[in-house]
Amino acid sequence: MSTASRVVHRLEEVPFLESRDASLLFVLPGLFVFSTFMLFPVLYLIGVSFTNAAPSNLFAGEGVFSVMTFGEATFVGLQNYTDVLTDPEFWNSFGVTWLFVATSVALKICLSLGVALVVTNERVRGRRLMRSFIILPMGLPAIFTITVWRGIFSSAEFGLVNQVLGIFGAESVAWLSTRWPAFFAYNITEMWLAYPFMVIITVSALQDVPEELHEAATVDGAGLISRFFHVTLPSIKRPVLFASILTAAASFQQFLIPYVFNQGGPARANELIVVYGYREALSFSEYGRGAAVSLIAVVFIGAFMWINVKRGKLADGVSDE
Amino acid sequence: MSLLSGIVRKLSEDIKNILTVPAETARDITYTVEGIRSGKISPTEPLKTVGATAGALVLVLALLFPVYWILQAALSGSGASLYSADGISIFPDDPTLQAFVWVVGDLIIPGYSIAFDVPLTNVSLVFDTPEVTLLDASTYGVDRPSSFKHFLWNSITVAIPTVIISMCLIVPASYALSRRQFIFRRKILFLYVLLTQVGGGLGVALLIGLYAIYVQFGVNDSKLALSVYYAATAVPFNTWLLKTYMDGIPVSYEEAAVVDGAPPWRVVTEVIIPLSTAGLATVFIFTFLTGWTEFVVAQTLLGTDNYTLPVGLYSLVDEYSIPWARFSAFALTFAMPIMLVYLFAQRYIEGGLSFSGMEG
Repeated sequence: MSTASRVVHRLEEVPFLESRDASLLFVLPGLFVFSTFMLFPVLYLIGVSFTNAAPSNLFAGEGVFSVMTFGEATFVGLQNYTDVLTDPEFWNSFGVTWLFVATSVALKICLSLGVALVVTNERVRGRRLMRSFIILPMGLPAIFTITVWRGIFSSAEFGLVNQVLGIFGAESVAWLSTRWPAFFAYNITEMWLAYPFMVIITVSALQDVPEELHEAATVDGAGLISRFFHVTLPSIKRPVLFASILTAAASFQQFLIPYVFNQGGPARANELIVVYGYREALSFSEYGRGAAVSLIAVVFIGAFMWINVKRGKLADGVSDE
Repeated sequence: MSLLSGIVRKLSEDIKNILTVPAETARDITYTVEGIRSGKISPTEPLKTVGATAGALVLVLALLFPVYWILQAALSGSGASLYSADGISIFPDDPTLQAFVWVVGDLIIPGYSIAFDVPLTNVSLVFDTPEVTLLDASTYGVDRPSSFKHFLWNSITVAIPTVIISMCLIVPASYALSRRQFIFRRKILFLYVLLTQVGGGLGVALLIGLYAIYVQFGVNDSKLALSVYYAATAVPFNTWLLKTYMDGIPVSYEEAAVVDGAPPWRVVTEVIIPLSTAGLATVFIFTFLTGWTEFVVAQTLLGTDNYTLPVGLYSLVDEYSIPWARFSAFALTFAMPIMLVYLFAQRYIEGGLSFSGMEG
């Protein structure tokens, strides 16, 4: 008897499993590795968030045992959470994060939908080649493009945006050292970073729209705009919705843009929530508070994804029973 | 092998297509001109086409402008900055490849001596291979080239294990999720969809925990530990992606193979794997890129000696001045292979990301 069939046999003896459940074995390794690297840090973070952990006490001692006791950090109960939740800076960061999600997702959808419609338009010659080129930014490392965008939005008179403004006779703007211009710069950069992914998904969706639908609508006398709203949009709604949810989650967790641009400044005004947690922990050495902030972020992003997956019925699209 | 020859065939097709574009366009134009002259085609039609193409071209160029701008900075030599006092220039004043030479550094294959002992005799043969100099940086006025090759080696030793580990985890799982029914299947799928985007991004939020654990287990400077972590974060999204792709393959192909008497493993190797090439290629690229471009976790966990390319790249930047030419040349050299892959694999990626299983 081969090992595989022996395993199947063994499975049948377990009361609630059937032989076909052996397929679960294909999935378990991935699930296990993922849980080890994601759930374990989460559990650890939950522990740390109840202590006054700082680099000095957390890394005291070595080995497995001191991981369990969080080094020599002491238990402080809910103090980190009450500190964080009564800190106006936290609420500011929280609000800015959601605002950023709303504005950047709107921008991303508009740009990518527009670009996708253009590069699939039948009148445009060489659209295949254009599509190849347009996703190139995806190949550039994010840390690099973000640094370049920092240069573009440089507050100096010679920054690219300021030069363009200069051509139109406008005054230079100190982009990264004033609050809302910096926020605007985040949005533009995020939009540019995310468009290749969105465009690919939208283009694939657009190509799946049956040609007959368009022809039928044209015969019925529908114009370009009403064809877009009544034929194209309904057929690409689900993939685009899915991409939007993914990209919204990415916006929520945006870290590099604020961090590289101006460390979430000026004066911590634009710290998105992940940056806030990171800075609390690693710049101000308050591991406990940082952990509490990160956990609150995890809870919110988890809830956000859960609601969207439920409401968007995305899991249904996955299972084909 | 058939996979490889297929790719080569597609590539040569692409190249042939690109090469014949001018001829095709010329034929198109003469046809249109003839048509207008004889009155078969109304003159507004080609005008619309030209207008639409020009508009699209402007859009594409505008979107790619930052990339072009970087390239220009990289070519304009050591004094380059992204800010020039005399307005935006379209071409660098006097282009030089010096920054790229600085990145690549010396390419010298050192001479080796290979010794053979001829058996049963006391004779030994010694071969001296000549020293091959492909590129000597100092002749181009570059004295201290970058540590690009060192970072590259680190990146490769992180990215390749990441791809191998994650492919081993992802491919069987997506096959099972796509084709089999088993306990907890829906629950796991739901979890994966939920976690699709959370994986990579939350890495930063969980960094504190991860860092503390890695330090205490003493693996914080290990490249292998880092690639296992990357593989783990890549699991939900890519499993789900490949599963959705496999859903689009008609079950009847497998049924045909089964009727012909193929054992289960042959169904997988002969039907599923070849038919999901696009999906596999997409997943391959995505998992490779996880290890290749990730910055925050690598910077926090790795020591200076093990810096990967993104971390090495960012270490060129200091607070007040960025050596733009070198910085851009470094980044472009590092991104070039990926951009080429994107350029040629675009049709696969489009197919692989089509979510064909989720119509409706």
